[in-house]
Amino acid sequence: MGVRIRLSRQTLAILDALLVRPGQWHHGYSLSQSTGIPSGTLYPILMRLEKLHWLETRWEEAKTPGRPPRHLYRLSGTAREWAREELRAAQKKHFWTPAGDQV
Amino acid sequence: MSTSPKIESVPARCARWLLGCALRHWPEETRPWGMALVAELDETTKPFEAIRWSLGGIMFFTRSWFTSAWKWLKLPAGSSLSNGGPQGSDFLPKRSRFFTVVILVATGLLFLLPESREAFRTVRASWLGFMLTNSDNRTLDELGTRAEKEKDASMLAFVALSTRDPKRSEKLVEESVALDPTLVWIYGAKNHRLDYYPARQEWLDRLEVADPGNAVPLLLAADALAQPKISPRYAEPDYAKLENDPQWMALMERSFTAPRYDSYMQKHFQLMRMMWERDPNLPPEIFLVGMWSHAMPDLRLVRLYGDIRLREAKKAQAAGDTEQSEKIANQVGTFGARMAGSNGPFIEQLIGIVVEHSAQVGLTELYASEGKAEEARVANSKVGELDRAVKGFNRDNPRRAEQIQTLQWEAAFVQGFGILGGIAGLAVILGILELELRSGKNRNRTSVWRRVMCLVSDYAPAALLLASGAFVVCFLPFQRALADFRASAFLPADERRITDALWSLIEVPQYMLGDDAAVAFWSFITITLSVLAISIVVWSWHRTRRAAINPA
Repeated sequence: MGVRIRLSRQTLAILDALLVRPGQWHHGYSLSQSTGIPSGTLYPILMRLEKLHWLETRWEEAKTPGRPPRHLYRLSGTAREWAREELRAAQKKHFWTPAGDQV
Repeated sequence: MSTSPKIESVPARCARWLLGCALRHWPEETRPWGMALVAELDETTKPFEAIRWSLGGIMFFTRSWFTSAWKWLKLPAGSSLSNGGPQGSDFLPKRSRFFTVVILVATGLLFLLPESREAFRTVRASWLGFMLTNSDNRTLDELGTRAEKEKDASMLAFVALSTRDPKRSEKLVEESVALDPTLVWIYGAKNHRLDYYPARQEWLDRLEVADPGNAVPLLLAADALAQPKISPRYAEPDYAKLENDPQWMALMERSFTAPRYDSYMQKHFQLMRMMWERDPNLPPEIFLVGMWSHAMPDLRLVRLYGDIRLREAKKAQAAGDTEQSEKIANQVGTFGARMAGSNGPFIEQLIGIVVEHSAQVGLTELYASEGKAEEARVANSKVGELDRAVKGFNRDNPRRAEQIQTLQWEAAFVQGFGILGGIAGLAVILGILELELRSGKNRNRTSVWRRVMCLVSDYAPAALLLASGAFVVCFLPFQRALADFRASAFLPADERRITDALWSLIEVPQYMLGDDAAVAFWSFITITLSVLAISIVVWSWHRTRRAAINPA
């Protein structure tokens, strides 16, 4: 069961990135690349979202031998709706704008 | 989902090494997130990217570590964050680690206060019998070296009087007097140490020349002559040897007829006080040991010569030469009065009074036998005055005895709280070590030992803080005595107050450990540590053996 919380701009950006292809699994590095959020901020947010049951995670075996398994993330079913609501609300309040709209 | 080629530049290798180190120390509960972050490092394509990713990782590690430490601190001792924290069946202390840490930090902060440090230093020294420790010797060496570099005559004199190294002391005495000739009195300051060695003759000659008319250099010279003949170590002097020594008798005669008696002890105290004011952190035993090497004549020899002269007076009276008899007794009495009024330490004044008292008793008898009633009455009234003065010096004097008793009670409280604090400190260490190091094994055991350890862990830190606070508060009268001494203009009363205060502190350790407190103290420490070391060895051996017998 997920919990609704107050979200920071960085969290909203991550949710936005996860909602681009909501059914697809995302890697931490690609999320960092698409949002511009450094690893030191990204992972605590992902950890928090996972604790709130907004995020589903799984490990993926490395395709190249000798590399460690990678962690994958996607929004859970209910969380996708909540995330969209939160993003809309934040946009209305001018608290946050999608990356594409920032000119 | 792309897989980039692994970059092998130096910055990338550094970044990988850095994150590897962090991962090894990553808190258990967030380690998978650390592994996830480290796995992504191989996806970076540029060295700068790798560095940036790893620095972010270090930030995440630091944050995780502090969060984990905070959660760990909020748990009681003996519990861990793995397996979801303490379980219902666990038998653990009621207080959190945080509580213990706060109390211990508060105790630590308390001992950062100068008053607390002085209390700790002084009480520790009292348990070691106010003897110089190796650390004190090192401090003195450092002070001596610094004083030589800075050409600090007073500091050189202070170290010379306090050090236990005779050769170093001699060198420093010479350097000190060469820099400041007013410190010439330290030439006579080697006569009364336990490790006695006589003052050098040329020093005493120089002192006599530098301070003409003063009885003290002459008495010091007479001592230097007498000591090797009687006994080097405070044994009962062989009077006959001295009485028949014309050189000694001549020196004593000159000193008894010298116009002044200026005690060097005032100068000595002032030097000590100045050094203590300059560096209040110097341990008190350095000052006490320094006082043993004071420039004071052997007071028993002063009394001895007084008695010899009074015997001569009696002989003269018996021979019918009352004039000579009166002259000798008056000479002895005048010397005693001069010595009593010398503003020296109380023992020097006391001996002066005793010498004068003997002379006045002799004069009373002489005048009475001669039928000089008025002179006999005056002399007798002087005897009464001197009796009262002696009582004033005595420990049995009700006011002083009361002060000493108060100090003894205060000292008992200081030592009592000190002992309680020491026991509480050891209990804290034992309780924490027992609960933290054997947490996995005994978590849900409810044995008496476990219960005791939990109680200790709950209450010993608070007991330590309370005992430490009470220890510092109870030490305040002693702290005031030390501060007043440092700020005093040196009066015999100041010296008595400081010595009464310090000696009352030593009574509890002496009562508990016997006379040789330092030996007993270090024996206790050595035996305790040895027992502990043997227990650890036996326990480890037993464990290894059991593991070998039953590998499962």
